Amino acid sequence: MKSRVWGQGPGANRGPFKGETDAMRIIRRISFAALSATVLASSAIAQQAAGSPETPRLLAYPVPPAGRLVAITNATIMTASNGTIPRGTIVIRDGKIAAVGAGVAIPAGAQVIDGNGKYVIPGIVDAHSHSASESINEGTQSITAQVRMEDVLRQDAIGLYRELAGGVTTLNILHGSANTIGGQNATVKVRWGLPADSLLFQGAPPGIKFALGENVRQTNRTVLPGQERRYPRTRMGVEELLRDAFTRAQEYRRDWQEYERGRRNVKKGQPALVPPKRDLQLDALVEVLEGKRLVHCHSYRADEILMMLQVAKDFGFRVASFQHVLEGYKVADEIAAAGSGASTFADNWAYKLEAFDAIPHNAALMAERGVRVSINSDSDERARRLYQEAAKAMHYGGASEEEALKMITLHPAWQLGVDKRVGSIEVGKDADLAIFNGHPFAPASRVEMTLIDGRVFFDRSTAPTLEHLMELLRQKQGPRQVTEVLP
Amino acid sequence: MRLSALLAALTLPCVVGAQEGTWALTNARIETVARGVIERGTIVIRDGLIEAVGPDVRPPADARIVDLAGKHVFPGLIDLTSTLGLPSAPAGGGQGGQQGGAAQGSATPVRNVGLEPGRVIADELRPSASDLRTARDVGITTVLVAPSRGAFRGLSALVPLREESAIRYIVKSPVALHMGFEGAQGSGFGGRYPATLLGVIAYERQSLYDARHHAALQERHRAGTRGAVRPSYDADLDALVPVVRGAVPAFFSANRENEIRRAVRIGDEFDLKLVVVGATEGFRAIDALKRAEGVVVSLDFPRPTAVTGWSYRSTQRHALDDSAATDSAVRRLLESNAATLHAAGVRFALASGGARPGEFLANVRKAIAAGLPRDVALQALTVRAADVAGVGTQLGSIEAGKIANLVVAERDILGDSANVRMVFVDGIRHEVIAPPASERRRGGGAGARGGEREDAGEMARVAGTWDLTVTSAQGDNQASMTVTQSGATLDGTMATELGTVQVTDGRVTGQRVTFTITVPISGQTTAIVFRGTVDGNRMTGTADLGAMGSATFTGERRP
Repeated sequence: MKSRVWGQGPGANRGPFKGETDAMRIIRRISFAALSATVLASSAIAQQAAGSPETPRLLAYPVPPAGRLVAITNATIMTASNGTIPRGTIVIRDGKIAAVGAGVAIPAGAQVIDGNGKYVIPGIVDAHSHSASESINEGTQSITAQVRMEDVLRQDAIGLYRELAGGVTTLNILHGSANTIGGQNATVKVRWGLPADSLLFQGAPPGIKFALGENVRQTNRTVLPGQERRYPRTRMGVEELLRDAFTRAQEYRRDWQEYERGRRNVKKGQPALVPPKRDLQLDALVEVLEGKRLVHCHSYRADEILMMLQVAKDFGFRVASFQHVLEGYKVADEIAAAGSGASTFADNWAYKLEAFDAIPHNAALMAERGVRVSINSDSDERARRLYQEAAKAMHYGGASEEEALKMITLHPAWQLGVDKRVGSIEVGKDADLAIFNGHPFAPASRVEMTLIDGRVFFDRSTAPTLEHLMELLRQKQGPRQVTEVLP
Repeated sequence: MRLSALLAALTLPCVVGAQEGTWALTNARIETVARGVIERGTIVIRDGLIEAVGPDVRPPADARIVDLAGKHVFPGLIDLTSTLGLPSAPAGGGQGGQQGGAAQGSATPVRNVGLEPGRVIADELRPSASDLRTARDVGITTVLVAPSRGAFRGLSALVPLREESAIRYIVKSPVALHMGFEGAQGSGFGGRYPATLLGVIAYERQSLYDARHHAALQERHRAGTRGAVRPSYDADLDALVPVVRGAVPAFFSANRENEIRRAVRIGDEFDLKLVVVGATEGFRAIDALKRAEGVVVSLDFPRPTAVTGWSYRSTQRHALDDSAATDSAVRRLLESNAATLHAAGVRFALASGGARPGEFLANVRKAIAAGLPRDVALQALTVRAADVAGVGTQLGSIEAGKIANLVVAERDILGDSANVRMVFVDGIRHEVIAPPASERRRGGGAGARGGEREDAGEMARVAGTWDLTVTSAQGDNQASMTVTQSGATLDGTMATELGTVQVTDGRVTGQRVTFTITVPISGQTTAIVFRGTVDGNRMTGTADLGAMGSATFTGERRP
């Protein structure tokens, strides 16, 4: 993405009201109108409306009830792994799915959510997100494997709430694409309202961001006077940097192995061995070499994807997912053979030179060749409607309904190494669910409720919707005021 | 002893209002802090120390007697968050560490500001007489000086507020290594590592690992073992070694909830003697604060809209009218931070957080009004502060043997109508000359902010709507700013091409004005700091875009 010092670039992911839809813009305007209405309101009304001034709502995060025993009844259940159950029940016990099916009995004492006329899908997994982080790109060096997204998580990014409203429950929080080897990722659940530490998806394997192409070459960046150009400037430089980094990691690992061997053989009178200096950057790369850290690689062009696969093969690791991968359809067989996943956009292209060969059939074509494909957002805005993005794979490439659903649930979960825990509606999995008021791929459908670990983190019936605000305005000012503030 | 004191008095330049010597302060109401209140007692001061204190102490023959009947005496206040006497930020430059760890950057002679664990603040201090007096006049007698920005800011000095020669009498140096979450100065894309919060935490972690390694090499080398490799000479790593060994505390600046948790995590990871400094959102991280060795609570209250969780509010159903109510409720919550921490059993010192001295004392009163027991507040400004700084045996209370830092006031110095008459620092008496009424109001003696008249004269009037043109390498950008002015403080909003945002940290000093906005640029939240000069209806200056570089700006006030 082109970074400008000031001013609005292309793309919706920019303004202070990141990811704003028309409806939200109206709500915001009404809110502003309401703000001025405050001045007019008598103090008595204001006080009454504000509730107890001792406990300001914004600082008292209501923790959703633990939901020990919950039953969602009579819903159309799209399991993502075992087809669709037309009128089924899901029983949740202690945050896990305890039963799912058509003839499942509702246990006594369960909190019942009436799913009549509703569709339930697994909570959506977004394999590429930058929500909930206080910084994204440590762009001063092309290798920053030592930086960790986990260190900079924040729980109060509004994007999280909007993602919940779009049925998203798991995010892969990635470092930006400024560096060939960026920072360590954080896999999180969208537990909006809880402290930052509580966001972390416990048990998710660690990962790391790699990036190739224009962003790391910095060809599309304005260099201010006095600023130095950073190495590498070409795609061959990117490859050299990768090979150099992993060669250093191999040597570093050897140093530690020698130390461990030597430590046991120190003779009397000899100085005790001092361990090698710990290098946090190389620590992370050694974990990659040993298959303990998943590589998520930002990439566009077919040639650089092949280069990355070759480097990974030479150093003996697997690329867990190629991100964006807009030319993936050209090298789908090679990606599938390497056991890598592909996480792409539905129909987002031509926003830079290396994205010119993108086609909206990419996801379906790769899936046809056996690649596990996910559709990601890379944006707080797009993350709200990933279910519509998945539907595009059906529209353009003819993917099946179940394949399209997997692209936002089971496949991204697999890419993040958490498919044993989330991504489908199966007994024993985490009760991360999105409940829609219609078929999730139908244009007018929307999320009614989002559950994580069986807790309701989003419920449209209590959310501050446009309807709710308009009703409040009608009560206060009468309808005339409302029509005035609407554009 | 007395002869040398006399000689010192003769050789030092005579400062008006400052008198050394042996003193007997009689008939005073003495709040010792450590040993209760003496309703009517005497304090004897000799050679800068308290020689005796008590109800029945007889003034020695050689003492100058000051009858303080009806007056109150308190220990001098200690502010652990000061930049007094620190030269304004030295220019950065140089390549700095290319990889992480303090070791890489240290070979270059160029300063790497903000990444200097070995920076000795005591060597740099040049306090001005007026700064010393302004702080002393409200009862502050000792300040801990360290830079207010940077990942590794340097080794702080505890400075008595004597006259300019104060640095010669430093109480303690180093007190602590000061740390924070800001990156290398002038860094950014193509700039120096670390530029972002991500990089800063990784850099700090790597540096502390490097220090451990360095310590291990040093230890083995000192043991004189044959065949041990000699460690390199590195002032920055040398400074970090006692920190990772827990001998020198790390004072970590952390105000917001997540900052506090991050700092405590680093402290835990390296077993540091960690003191959290700031903690303005401490009430949200009480569990974390209890894991720290010490806590210094800043009274520079944040704005409600800058509080963690503010955005949560917009996702909750609430009545249309609750904005203003929430705002003031949050303000109360922020002011009751210290009270909440006290109730939760957290021990802490109170500090200004960088606010001007008058505002500091006004904020202490707000904290007391919000529920902090007044005696606890006084302890937090005296004995507890001395303990945190590791000088509990020398400062913080009125006891024999301690340094004679005393405040004499007509009434309670933490009360609403404080009236400091004289201040003793190292036993030297400084008379407080009451400022003209208008200045007192500005200084915040009795609740400076809120609905008071603006001062006429020296201070620029900035209130109004300004059309700003910001010129950067990318060309011109327009913005309009609407601000109100209350004393030296600006509040308002700015409409930019990136949306309308809050104007924060607005301050007016004479004709100079600074304010900050925070905008998302390329997905990164970026603070833009404006520093300008006001000339009637025009304003000119620079805008610091952090990692993105800098720009110039001009402003015209709309008629």
